[in-house]
Amino acid sequence: MKVDRVAIRFLRWLVFVCVLLCGALLAQQQASPTQTQDVLIKNAVVMTVTHGNIKNGSIYVKDGKIAAVGENVSAPAGVAVVDAGGKFVTPGIIDSHSHIALDDDVNEATSPITPHMMMMDAFDYQDKAIYRGLAGGVTTSLLLHGSANMIGGQAVVIKHKYGLGRDAMLFPGAPRSIKFASGENPKRVYGSRDQLPSTRMGNFAVQREALVQAQDYMKEWDNYEAKVKKGDKDATQPKHDLKLEALADVLRGKLMVQIHCYRADEFLNEIAMAKEFGYKIRAFHHALEAYKVPEKIAAENIAIATFADWWGYKEEAWDAIPWNAVISMRKGVIVAIKSDSDDFARRLNQEAGKTMRYGGATEDEALKMITLNAAWIVGVDDRVGSIDVGKDADLVIWDGYPLSSFAVPNKVFIDGGVYFDRALPGFGMPQYREGQ
Amino acid sequence: MNQFSVLSARFSVFGSRVAAGLVFAALFACNPASAQTKAVVLKGGKVLTITHGVIENGVVVMENGKISAVGAGASVKIPAGAQVIDVTGMTVYPGLIDSETNLGLTEISAENMTNDLVEPSDEIMPHMHTADAFHAETALIPVARINGVTNAIVAPTSTDTLPGQDSFIQLDGKSADEMLLVRDIALPLNFTGEQRRRESWEKRKYPSTRMGMAAQLRQAFIDARDYEGKLAEYDKKKDAAAKDNKPEPLAPKRDLRLEALLPYLHGKKQIVLAAEGPSDLETAVRLANEFNLKIVLNHVSHSQAVLDYIAGLKVPVIVGPIYQEPKPEERFDTVYSLPAELHKRGVKIAFATYDAHGVRNLPYQAGFATAFGLPYEDALKAITLNPAEIWGVADKLGSLDAGKTANVVVANGDPLDVKTDVKRVFIEGREIPLTNRQTVLRDMYSK
Repeated sequence: MKVDRVAIRFLRWLVFVCVLLCGALLAQQQASPTQTQDVLIKNAVVMTVTHGNIKNGSIYVKDGKIAAVGENVSAPAGVAVVDAGGKFVTPGIIDSHSHIALDDDVNEATSPITPHMMMMDAFDYQDKAIYRGLAGGVTTSLLLHGSANMIGGQAVVIKHKYGLGRDAMLFPGAPRSIKFASGENPKRVYGSRDQLPSTRMGNFAVQREALVQAQDYMKEWDNYEAKVKKGDKDATQPKHDLKLEALADVLRGKLMVQIHCYRADEFLNEIAMAKEFGYKIRAFHHALEAYKVPEKIAAENIAIATFADWWGYKEEAWDAIPWNAVISMRKGVIVAIKSDSDDFARRLNQEAGKTMRYGGATEDEALKMITLNAAWIVGVDDRVGSIDVGKDADLVIWDGYPLSSFAVPNKVFIDGGVYFDRALPGFGMPQYREGQ
Repeated sequence: MNQFSVLSARFSVFGSRVAAGLVFAALFACNPASAQTKAVVLKGGKVLTITHGVIENGVVVMENGKISAVGAGASVKIPAGAQVIDVTGMTVYPGLIDSETNLGLTEISAENMTNDLVEPSDEIMPHMHTADAFHAETALIPVARINGVTNAIVAPTSTDTLPGQDSFIQLDGKSADEMLLVRDIALPLNFTGEQRRRESWEKRKYPSTRMGMAAQLRQAFIDARDYEGKLAEYDKKKDAAAKDNKPEPLAPKRDLRLEALLPYLHGKKQIVLAAEGPSDLETAVRLANEFNLKIVLNHVSHSQAVLDYIAGLKVPVIVGPIYQEPKPEERFDTVYSLPAELHKRGVKIAFATYDAHGVRNLPYQAGFATAFGLPYEDALKAITLNPAEIWGVADKLGSLDAGKTANVVVANGDPLDVKTDVKRVFIEGREIPLTNRQTVLRDMYSK
């Protein structure tokens, strides 16, 4: 018994020292997050997404970018080598619909039009959900406003570099997105308070009215600026209005419009509204009835961010079918599978795998739904979403076939740095009890 | 989930679209197959028997609703006139059993008129019988079947400490009577804190704390014991009166609530004891021991610190769901690894979806648990034989053995994998059409 206790004490001490060492290593890394170590990942099945799988492939990561990928990759002597042990490597997963790390500040549900809400202002960069998504292979997430409002707030795009500071986690240069919503949620939220909107007619009237106000606002400013240009010194400057300014940015095409929308008829209404006011819709989110009108959606080059098989949780989700993703994809719609949940964000690879069962998506098609297509929705497909030279080195080494029930990430790289490593519990998690 | 879908609808008006949808659904929902008349033989598949290993190129014979033979290709005699189905390249395994669902108690979560999930008016509701609400024609059951789930526990949701009694169902039949294999099979006892009545400070009512929950439960079981005493006393008096030819004494007033607790007081039936963390678990187990309750544990998702204590109780555990999120201070994999950790300590485990719409995803939990150390065979057992044993139906279900009910699944791959497509489902030897309102919609719109 005594020996056991001594042994346990020794082990505890050992763990403690290990944790200290990891901490020290991490501190070093954190001190200069831009100095990511160059690395050669070899002996991997590389699932590139854009150009098939490379058996016995290697990836050379330099300065946080993918510098080379293929069967024969040369890297300078002395570069750190990670042996993937014949396992699969995929691009980091991209979650195109997330509400993590917002500490429940998801909906400013006090007015159906709140385009000037900035999710960045609520972003809680220490939320454990960021780490847990990372542990499931997610490297980029689009954090959206909720669906209480017809026009909600502006999204923030993050990389899951858990352990770093707030600004270090923002996706540099990611385009701005705004959340719109339709259907049951706005009408339930405001209808239950005897306010407008309480019907779908009300929903769209509120949305149209806001966009008309934005047009007027723009005109007012255009007139003013024209007068100033002509040298009219008496021209009075219109008021700056944050809300209308944000809506004007929608009309100017400066914001990508991401619409929470379930029903087939509402896709058509939203498309008509976008045409009426001259903005483009980037994606319909949830989009559980996309399979009913896929051609109409594809014709506008609108993507969908949908669930693999969720259904029946409310009336507008009653016609959901798990074949939605593949039927829509076959008709030309860009399809992503997203989480919309702290839980699902941890296993999007399994959700993507379901599209192979429901409708027979190929491996590449299924993988695209959580990588490249999702990246397109977020507007960062030139930067992430596939394993191609020049892209950010956001990579996942899995311990099994990723599109299955059985795989979990062994290591996750973001911009070439390791942010999750199963071999080192607690890695990347200062002040976290993980592994202690 | 989107931020509002979980909110209960304030307007529970039955929209005409819902009504139409339900009528439409009803057409495809029950779809009961008629009883098996002809012997059916599944030949050439990889047979996962659960009890006696894997048989490559195996044969399963189903006659009169039962499995009549299972074995290697050449060793099994094929009955004359049997329908022989070549399942070469397929995997054959027993129907899956989900150890907690709300099937038949809900259609559309946000539409309250379609929900019969729990009676929230009081906490001690053992006289509620899920069998009384079970909706045989629900659109959800044919959806659940397409991944090979053939049997399930139907339980009320967990917001009452004693929410009412579970039923054990078969996912096919012409009526509720046919589908309800065992009524009142067990009684949940929920002790997770979720049962506290503390909607707001103003609306607080008893029990608003765990002390209150425990006291109320204790009182309920004491009342049941007293009630039983009164009944026994009455029986004695009645016998004495009969002997002495005296008029029969006045019978005690029937109390349905206490009457419902009696079988549980004696361990004749099982209490499904739900707790999440160690303190709730130990409090609830102490309480159960005071009244000699026979327990099956449920959830224990945040009890990693007391796994040896759980093993020492020597009771089965319905674990998870594996997707339950860890508490902020817990490891990212604390719930994922729970099934493996319990199994390692000799605990018999079973999986449950705790869901209605998502019952078809039951096998994936078992698959995911293998990624965190649960041996594959044991993962498969946790959705077949283990639940059959836990629910006392292992003589009929849970494995491919001669004499058991012919609930058999044929799939094109690993039963636990998300990519696997289930091709055939037999319940009592009847082939169940793998259609449901979702396949109908799919076919309607893929033309």
